[in-house]
Amino acid sequence: MGKGRSREQWTAVVNAMVARGAKATDAELVQIAEYLTAKLGPNSGTEAPATRAGRGSASAPVAGRGPGPLGAGAANSHVVDDAGAERGKAVYTAECITCHGLNGRGGNETLPAEQRGPDLVRSVLVLHDRYGNEIGPFLAKNHPLRSGRKGSSLTQEQVGDLAHFLHQTVYYTLRSGPMLKVQNILTGDPKAGAAYFNGDGKCSTCHSPSGDLAGVGKKYDAPTLQTKFLFPRSVGFGRAGARTAAAKPVTVTVTLADGSVAEGVLDRLDDFNVSLRDAQGQYKSFKITPQVKVVKHDPYAMHVTLLDQYTDKNIHDIVAYLESLK
Amino acid sequence: MMLTKFVTKPVFGLVVLGSGLLLPALEPSKVSGPPKDAWPMTIGDYSGRRFSPLSKINDSNVNSLSLAWVYRTNSGSGFASSIKATPVLVDGILYFSVPDKVWAVDARTGHEVWQFSWTSTGGIHIGSRGVAISGNSLYFETPDCHLVALNTKDGKERWRSSICDLDQMYFGSAAPLVINNHVIAGVSGDDLDAPGYIESHDPETGKLQWRWYAHPQPGEPEAKTWPNTEAMLHGGGMTWGAYAYDSELNLLYFGTGNPQPVIAGKGREGDNLYTESIIALNPDTGKLAWYFQVSPHDTHDWDGVEAPVLIDGEIDGKPRKLLAQASRNGYFFVLDRTNGKNIVTKTFAKANWAKGLDAKGQPIPNPAKMPQIDGVLVSPNQAGAANWPPPSFSPLTGLFYVNATDAYSVYYIYDNDIKPEGWGGNDHGGWSQSALRAIDYKTGQIKWSHTWEGTGGPRSGVLSTAGNLVFAADSSSNFVALDAQKGQPLWHTNLGTGMSNAPMTYELDGTQYLVVAAGDTLFGFAMLAK
Repeated sequence: MGKGRSREQWTAVVNAMVARGAKATDAELVQIAEYLTAKLGPNSGTEAPATRAGRGSASAPVAGRGPGPLGAGAANSHVVDDAGAERGKAVYTAECITCHGLNGRGGNETLPAEQRGPDLVRSVLVLHDRYGNEIGPFLAKNHPLRSGRKGSSLTQEQVGDLAHFLHQTVYYTLRSGPMLKVQNILTGDPKAGAAYFNGDGKCSTCHSPSGDLAGVGKKYDAPTLQTKFLFPRSVGFGRAGARTAAAKPVTVTVTLADGSVAEGVLDRLDDFNVSLRDAQGQYKSFKITPQVKVVKHDPYAMHVTLLDQYTDKNIHDIVAYLESLK
Repeated sequence: MMLTKFVTKPVFGLVVLGSGLLLPALEPSKVSGPPKDAWPMTIGDYSGRRFSPLSKINDSNVNSLSLAWVYRTNSGSGFASSIKATPVLVDGILYFSVPDKVWAVDARTGHEVWQFSWTSTGGIHIGSRGVAISGNSLYFETPDCHLVALNTKDGKERWRSSICDLDQMYFGSAAPLVINNHVIAGVSGDDLDAPGYIESHDPETGKLQWRWYAHPQPGEPEAKTWPNTEAMLHGGGMTWGAYAYDSELNLLYFGTGNPQPVIAGKGREGDNLYTESIIALNPDTGKLAWYFQVSPHDTHDWDGVEAPVLIDGEIDGKPRKLLAQASRNGYFFVLDRTNGKNIVTKTFAKANWAKGLDAKGQPIPNPAKMPQIDGVLVSPNQAGAANWPPPSFSPLTGLFYVNATDAYSVYYIYDNDIKPEGWGGNDHGGWSQSALRAIDYKTGQIKWSHTWEGTGGPRSGVLSTAGNLVFAADSSSNFVALDAQKGQPLWHTNLGTGMSNAPMTYELDGTQYLVVAAGDTLFGFAMLAK
């Protein structure tokens, strides 16, 4: 599934799984994201050409949630040749861009009506096209070009290249498109962030800019900092995000009916049973009865409590503050 | 071709309705609750309550429930093999689907009667939410945009009808619903900016009877909820959730999905009707009777398609025909289903995105909680406070049961273009905690909430029964029976993987069975001890 996704995209997939209940340590989550990127990332085709996705293109595969070759769109969809798309972009820029816009999303509203071309990403004709078989005949019907020539003057190769470019533009629009990346998020005020850190947020109860957070702004980029302090169990963005320290585990204290106590890293807890791994690494599980007392200790409990308290300004200020700790 | 007109008259050479050659169709008036020995539609009965009047399995003996049979489909792993469908039971045979596959299984033994495989030409294989049965025909949707009819006797194909265009990134996943001489089928897909719609097909021939688009027509007053016609005609609102039907009012009910572009809403200022709305249509004509928008101008992918549940209840001492929905956006709604007027709007999980309610009872989105370039902390997250797994309503307790999730994530704008398209952003990171909640339909108050330990949420449906039981899944792959009035767990069994559908129950030869799916496996439980 999702062949060709970037590290950022696989990280997002892994995070979505965590948010929906997948259980793994941070290190394991990073490993999973790295594995998926290596095996099913944008460069995976060079490692295993035989299994390369036949849909979309190397730079923008069609988003797939199904198995094997089955993802969004038709199994026989247009496969983009990236070099062709590059040549097609030159054709587009020379002949189409004035009326259909910089990115194919249609002519600007300031253009006179007769020059305002339709949105080509949303064009059913373009979406139905395969290798120019719809676009070519359409242009040949005296479609005007920017150069003043007629559409019929384009060579078959130019039409094919234009088709590669337009399909690439469509694939870039899909949610897995390589252009869809987090932008600059460093908008906060570091001083206000420091004040919140030491004041209302009570972050300084557990953390110190000269202790555990020394140099944190050098280690991680701003989007990763934002993700990790809000949700310590989530994986950050990109390579830096993948390198963040492992999340601390939840521990549990189980007091049995006879007063004996078992403690360790929580493995699993539901209404009926609890299991843990103790300091010696021994796995133990217990049935929960009214006589059994189970107490969970989540080192990040305060981070969860704060989710109900932060303003978005607090969040961006804290990121700016953490980013300044270099 | 793309229809842009409200289709109310036969097109494409449709046959006249009411042909005398039809097999006996399901008569809505005769289905007021699932009969003892049947579960005639994936939603149980037309009310979508998923409540069973059976009580042989009850709060005093549920601890004696045992495994009667297991049917493993061996259909692979992941989304494409996960059984999301609640089986339909007719004449002792269970019928269910996963993407591209349908099975008929003996409801007493779990033995396979037949299976059908479809050769796919594409589409997202995220799930198949069930089949519909009428007479000797079974209807289901394929990911590659087909509505297909099989013969229930042997699983042989009777006809196929195209319902959408794969090139526009549509796909099929919904469970069709048969209403008299209509097979109702919706569409899925939100990768590109295409309009949502729902269709009715002839049960005998598969021909299109009508199509209703989830947008107003240019010039109608509701068209003013879009900045321009182009945005409106590419505005999404897919119809992939559960449907319900009131035979007295002759109204079909369903919710519509997210507007397009999904996250970056800059190019679609306004409320964006009829996306994320509860819709009532005349199933004979496809004409709109009323609408109620649960998320005006949504920018969080909170499809409003969660199961509409029809409640014949009482408000202020007067009997009322009601419709309830626990929506993905964290709000619980109760409407008068004769006219769509709001009675209750109340959060049933954490929700920080609305400024308040408007005069119609619709939440007013807070612009500060719409996705931003530098990120904004939003609850619920993209998966939502609830999602497609259906809730249940018990007329005995007056409680609406839903697996609810409290969650946060950060929503980002990735594409800051003046005219974003597709998604243009997403959410990232997150925290969530789930609970089974029992909501009083008259007030929206939570009567009890049973938290599921562990992170993340079970994405399972719910069943309630006259045995004072509610069946649901926890976060640890347990299938759990709880006291319907008080909410404490009474019985559980671990299915090895998370429950993937909503359970159903039936009685055959004096034995009450309980059937649930987890991944690629169907489990049949029963009270077998003498």
